[in-house]
Amino acid sequence: MPGNYMPSAAELFRFSPELLLTAAGTLLMIFEAITSPKQKRSLPVFAFLSLLAALALAVAASSDPGPAFNRMLQVDGFATFFRVLVMAIGAVTILISTNYLKQAEHEGGEFYSLVLFSVVGQCLMATANELIMIFIGIEVSSIATYVLAGYLRDDKRNNEAALKYFLLGSFATAFLLYGVAWIYGTTGTTNLSGVRGVLLDPQNAPNAILISVALGLVLVGLLFKVSAVPFQSWAPDVYQGAPAPVTAFMATGPKAAAFAAFLRITMWAFEPVKNHWIPVLWFTAIATMIVGNFAALRQSNVKRLLAYSSIAHAGYVLVALTAASKTGTEAAMFYMVSYAAMNLGAFAVIAHVARKGERRVEIDDFAGLGNRQPLTAAIFTVFLLSLIGVPLTGGFFAKFYVFKAALDSQLIALTIVGLLNSAVAAFYYLRLIVIMYMQPAPEGVDTLPEPSLGIRTALVACSLATVVLGVFPSLVLDIAGRGASFIR
Amino acid sequence: MPEGYLPLFVFLIVALLFPVVLLWAAALVRPSTPGQVKHEAYECGIEAASNARGRYTVRFYIISILFVIFDVETVFLFPWAVRYRQLGWFGIGEIGVFLLILVAGYIWAWQKRALEWV
Amino acid sequence: MQSHILSIVLFTPLAGLLVLLLIPGQNKFLIRLWANIAAALGFLVSVPMLLSFDRAKDGYQFVERADWIPSLGVQYLIGVDGISLLMVMLTTVMGFLAIFSSWTSIKDREKEYYAMFLLQQVGMVGVFISLDFLLFYTFWELVLVPMYFIIGIWGGPRKLYAAIKFFLYTLAGGVLMLLGILTLYFQYAQQFGRYTFEIAELMKLNMPLGLQQWVFWAFFLGFAIKVPMFPFHTWLPDAHTEAPTAGSVILAAVLLKMGTYGFIRFSLPLLPNASSDRTIVTILATLSLIGILYGAFVSLVQKDWKKLVAYSSVSHLGFCTLGIFALNQNGIAGSIIQQINHGISTGMLFLIVGVIYERRHTREIKEFGGLAHVMPNYAIVFAIAMLSSAGLPLLNGFVGEFTILQGAFEANKIWAAFAVLGIIFGAAYLLWLYQRTMLGEITNEKNRGLKDLNWREWAVFVPLIIWAVTIGVYPKPYFDILEKPVAQIVHRVHQSANMPLAAATVVPPIAAEARVR
Repeated sequence: MPGNYMPSAAELFRFSPELLLTAAGTLLMIFEAITSPKQKRSLPVFAFLSLLAALALAVAASSDPGPAFNRMLQVDGFATFFRVLVMAIGAVTILISTNYLKQAEHEGGEFYSLVLFSVVGQCLMATANELIMIFIGIEVSSIATYVLAGYLRDDKRNNEAALKYFLLGSFATAFLLYGVAWIYGTTGTTNLSGVRGVLLDPQNAPNAILISVALGLVLVGLLFKVSAVPFQSWAPDVYQGAPAPVTAFMATGPKAAAFAAFLRITMWAFEPVKNHWIPVLWFTAIATMIVGNFAALRQSNVKRLLAYSSIAHAGYVLVALTAASKTGTEAAMFYMVSYAAMNLGAFAVIAHVARKGERRVEIDDFAGLGNRQPLTAAIFTVFLLSLIGVPLTGGFFAKFYVFKAALDSQLIALTIVGLLNSAVAAFYYLRLIVIMYMQPAPEGVDTLPEPSLGIRTALVACSLATVVLGVFPSLVLDIAGRGASFIR
Repeated sequence: MPEGYLPLFVFLIVALLFPVVLLWAAALVRPSTPGQVKHEAYECGIEAASNARGRYTVRFYIISILFVIFDVETVFLFPWAVRYRQLGWFGIGEIGVFLLILVAGYIWAWQKRALEWV
Repeated sequence: MQSHILSIVLFTPLAGLLVLLLIPGQNKFLIRLWANIAAALGFLVSVPMLLSFDRAKDGYQFVERADWIPSLGVQYLIGVDGISLLMVMLTTVMGFLAIFSSWTSIKDREKEYYAMFLLQQVGMVGVFISLDFLLFYTFWELVLVPMYFIIGIWGGPRKLYAAIKFFLYTLAGGVLMLLGILTLYFQYAQQFGRYTFEIAELMKLNMPLGLQQWVFWAFFLGFAIKVPMFPFHTWLPDAHTEAPTAGSVILAAVLLKMGTYGFIRFSLPLLPNASSDRTIVTILATLSLIGILYGAFVSLVQKDWKKLVAYSSVSHLGFCTLGIFALNQNGIAGSIIQQINHGISTGMLFLIVGVIYERRHTREIKEFGGLAHVMPNYAIVFAIAMLSSAGLPLLNGFVGEFTILQGAFEANKIWAAFAVLGIIFGAAYLLWLYQRTMLGEITNEKNRGLKDLNWREWAVFVPLIIWAVTIGVYPKPYFDILEKPVAQIVHRVHQSANMPLAAATVVPPIAAEARVR
């Protein structure tokens, strides 16, 4: 039937943020090729503005929710929530990156273009209602991120990070794809709503073992993407090796999108068989929290420390997923927002302190920061306190909702382990605060320049977000609540 | 055994016999002059096995990467061509967008001087 | 019509803090001046609250209620009864005096220092006036951060160790307390079909004894670490010894009281069956007695002046917890008064150590001797503080300790016997300390040129001495204020204890819903 494929105007509108970002990314490549070095300075501005425009479009598109492209995409509150989140993450990444790239003498439109492409992939993951689309989203996002991780191609650590990320990442997506094939084989569809329909149909229930295998393979791929134990081993190396702004991006954007896909797959498509995956997630959540926190205790490299901390945080989100309820979904959504705010901020500070060649990323390099740059140190402290989970910061309510959701679902042991873990975690975050404020800067330390405008903006935005989430969590929680009820 | 498989069986026999007979016949008639060069996999071009630390110019990589990219892109054109009539104007538009993105990449590679040998 | 007096008391220090942040860091005099003004304002705005408090009324006064996180049932709900009123007054007075006493002793990073103190003030007042459990928890944890920085930045040689130990101990306790809070929260939701953290609502819960005990122990860890009760006290000597003088004063005078306040405000009324459970009461009373005696013994052998005072805190707080778990009017009222007394007298003792430390930069007891000859006024002030701490009649300590002993005696005569022993040892280590440092000949030549108290130090001590004497001579107003709220708690505990659980009133969900809003 000719014309059947033609998307309606409404569908194009729902998909417009991705279209805009793709066009902007492509244009950036051309601009990079044909502009003079002086004109190139406006490339990050262009990328930033197009992200903001896409964000506005995503918000506008949420006024007309519904499916698009033969139900491959589903633009609902849930999708909008994560779309806006990853776009905001992309925008902050650009703010952090400009000065960093200038110092590294590696400015280029490609960087921003890759960020945009990666964001497009993440948006797809958030919007997809179809396993194939999730896979394509993951690939688009990942391939761009692989390149970003190795962006400073003369830097050995960058190369190592990119290669590791690429090899292990491809391996994981292969698992995911294999799982998708199994799902298609057992249920005859790759559409998430279709899968749900098959699983709900008592007449036509597929073999439980086949479903478990299929689900297991998909979970392996997803757990890898969110760096959960036992698939976490890549994260510390990659986070440590990649340029700090890229680490900021990798630790937040792809993770948020992966959790979005995770939630759609578990809480929507496979919700009818949740008894199959709850025990898996239960163990993974406990292991992830424990491994992440205890490994972080012994780190001396700040980037590596935050890498382990981000593993631990993935564990907390998994607790919310294990709750397998609407409250759990809301908690995971809220968690990702506050996690993004505090982690982007923390990595922005690291990018600022590390400077050219990232020679200052040991904990001791932060000594005396409280004296040298009181404001930067104070803002960093806000992020660290939020990571600990002190009240009146976003981190506290994030954890609070997660544990509330867990208790709602009677996961008492999981809650206790999680709470104790968050007390353990305080130790290594405190170490950083101690170093900053209570140890004098070593003799002959070179002066730290004032943060650039981009970093300053990013820091102010992230710290404001962290505090606002801590004082008025309802602002985001209500939106998350509406988004989470769409997915049901 | 089902009837339909008999031709397949015959085909298998013939396929096995054919190279054996040919090689045997050739060995009967050809002159035998063995040498070092004749033992190599390719008698021209790059040595099949050499020191792993040996280097050759990075331009080979760039060219080959470009080749792979643009070659693989062609693969995407094929299904469109097959379903050309059914897809109609929508297909034309889609493939146009696709080619535009490709051209953008081409311009980028060109301006980055990836196409120049020297 | 809501009165906003409590919000004003709560947020005055915060407003002061925001203004402080705008003052440029080089202008140290202005910073000091403003911090003092802000703290003084914090005290002044709390005075009208004291004056207009109606002690004849039941329940909470000056209640303010607003939704904070409606989807979770968290409210901004504050109010005071007699118990919290006294605690708030203690906080505003001691907070001001602590800041005032730092005028000359802090010379480094003053802006941050005073900012931390003002922030701490907000947290402490918040803890005592919150009537919503999550709000309470928020303030409870908020207090942790400034004190951590105060110890860690402006502290003594082992400040890092002390600061981290302090933070981790209290945080671990707080986290377990949160678990207890969440349990109540879910129990309430199960029984009443609605989520709330409001304490008055949570009191309607009817929980089986087993669950109550679990929650009790969760709360216990949170509160007992803060008090600190034996065997969770080990962070306290470190924190006290390393903290700057004003930090120690606030720590002893107010922060520790958050733990005992927690027991009185939450453990007893929310978990009446568990709190009156024979095993639990015995364990708690035993730990208190161990704390009293252990703190006293360890004080006897201290070589460091400040550490001695720190251990004496362990002993005194043992009295407070003992009084609470006597579970009668005298015990609890005495405990609260003793908490205030401890704030006054131990606060003074820490200030006294601070005075000498500022002059000599050492706290080794054997460095001193015969100070009364060179610093007679100082010796007099120290004598008053020491005697008030030791519980001499006509001074405040006596009133508190005596009432607690009365309560303990009513509850169990053996407890009272051991507690009396604690008082005797308490007098012993204090008098011995006084003798070694103040009396006799001047043993160390370095002490000969020491200056006596200056006017600023006098200004800090005089209000405290007056306060100590008024409580000692005329404690009636305090007992009056405390009578109703304490009676209510005691009644609640005994009523539930005497009533078998099965027969306790079960409020049908719908009726409860209708009654609440």
